[in-house]
Amino acid sequence: MDLAVQRVLRPGSFEEAVRVMAEHPHALPIAGGTDLVVQLRDGRRAADVLVDLSGAGLAFITARNGVVEIGGATTMDAIANSREIRDACPALAAASRLVGAWPIQCRATLGGNLANASPAADTAPPLLVAEASVHLVSADGDRRIQLSELFSGPGETCLRPGELIRSIMIPTQHLQRTVREGFAKVGPRWEQIISVASLAHRFELDADGSIREARVAVGSVAPTPVRARAAEQFLAGKPPTAAVRREAARHLQDDISPIDDVRAPAWYRRVAVSVLLDRALTEAADG
Amino acid sequence: MGSVTVSLVLNGEQRTFEVPAGRRLLDLLRDDAGLTGTKEGCGAGECGACTVLLNGLPVPSCLVLAASCEGADVVTVEGLGGDRPLHPLQRAMVERGGVQCGFCTPGVVTTGAALLEHGITEPLEQGRRLAGNLCRCTGYSKIFEALQAAAREPGDD
Repeated sequence: MDLAVQRVLRPGSFEEAVRVMAEHPHALPIAGGTDLVVQLRDGRRAADVLVDLSGAGLAFITARNGVVEIGGATTMDAIANSREIRDACPALAAASRLVGAWPIQCRATLGGNLANASPAADTAPPLLVAEASVHLVSADGDRRIQLSELFSGPGETCLRPGELIRSIMIPTQHLQRTVREGFAKVGPRWEQIISVASLAHRFELDADGSIREARVAVGSVAPTPVRARAAEQFLAGKPPTAAVRREAARHLQDDISPIDDVRAPAWYRRVAVSVLLDRALTEAADG
Repeated sequence: MGSVTVSLVLNGEQRTFEVPAGRRLLDLLRDDAGLTGTKEGCGAGECGACTVLLNGLPVPSCLVLAASCEGADVVTVEGLGGDRPLHPLQRAMVERGGVQCGFCTPGVVTTGAALLEHGITEPLEQGRRLAGNLCRCTGYSKIFEALQAAAREPGDD
């Protein structure tokens, strides 16, 4: 079945894409289309004009000056395969291999996953933990925001009309200390599922095994993917013992506000995300 | 609805199509190119029946806009064997009973061919990469046997 769109514009460069977006303020940009095509088909979104970003040169990964930069139209598969990303943000590489299954990963893009702004977006928790920033460009100029500022609600972002995600920037880690980082999600099966709960963590450990700094971000348990600040503050300076793990899970409850929906009831999400945190801390303790 | 021109290499042949702007790659393949080997299952990227190779990687063609395939290289199940009648994985699927009703088979075979092409032969990893291709008949055992057999095949390709 054809999608109900009148025109597809295919800019051949990023500059042209920005210009085309300005000329068509109601156009929707499309990259991999793995979310958008389904939404257009089901009538959950509508657009007369699509701006196809395949030719806009947004599929790239570069590492320089302590920053790994990922172009907005870089696929999950390319991210999962990238040595630079596996070094700078292993949780993102892991999450990219758990978005849909392989054929989805070969098509879905990082910019699309973020712009779609699902509370369940699997790439968001790892990038929140990495304190990534986003480079946004429109005909009016460009700005760089923290990823946490991008999401304003379920399916909603602070993107202005005509504004495109050019790239996502991840500060590379200074690995003087021991860092434990990872991503895990819960759902009915491993692949091809939308997360019922997800969690990314980055624990910086002291020589005695206690947690010097904890960063935790969670998905599918709040209107947007969020950092778990209460759990993080509780964990700072503590060893990941069984008692600390239990107490951290209690603090985590203050960071989240899950809802009942078709995928799971809120109570289950609360339990599931606690288990994910417990596992991450247990692994950190085990080295 | 406006139309759009798409030039692409389809199963090794340079082709140009004039299609409605909102046409999906799946419909271009089936309706415009007459390549009905590629199947539509869920139409939402969840079942894998419509998987084709786009620039050498498996993608769900129900989620790909035909317009975005300008200049692309697309291989469907019909193009997998090349000059020969069957790709080694196709032959192994037949010999080992990896095909029952056959509806998922074109998608399984295209994803599987990409696995072999990328040298992914470890069974657990093959299982993860094939998890997006749902089969309700075989229980997957015969499909994995076929993948392992095709991976062992001496390099005549």
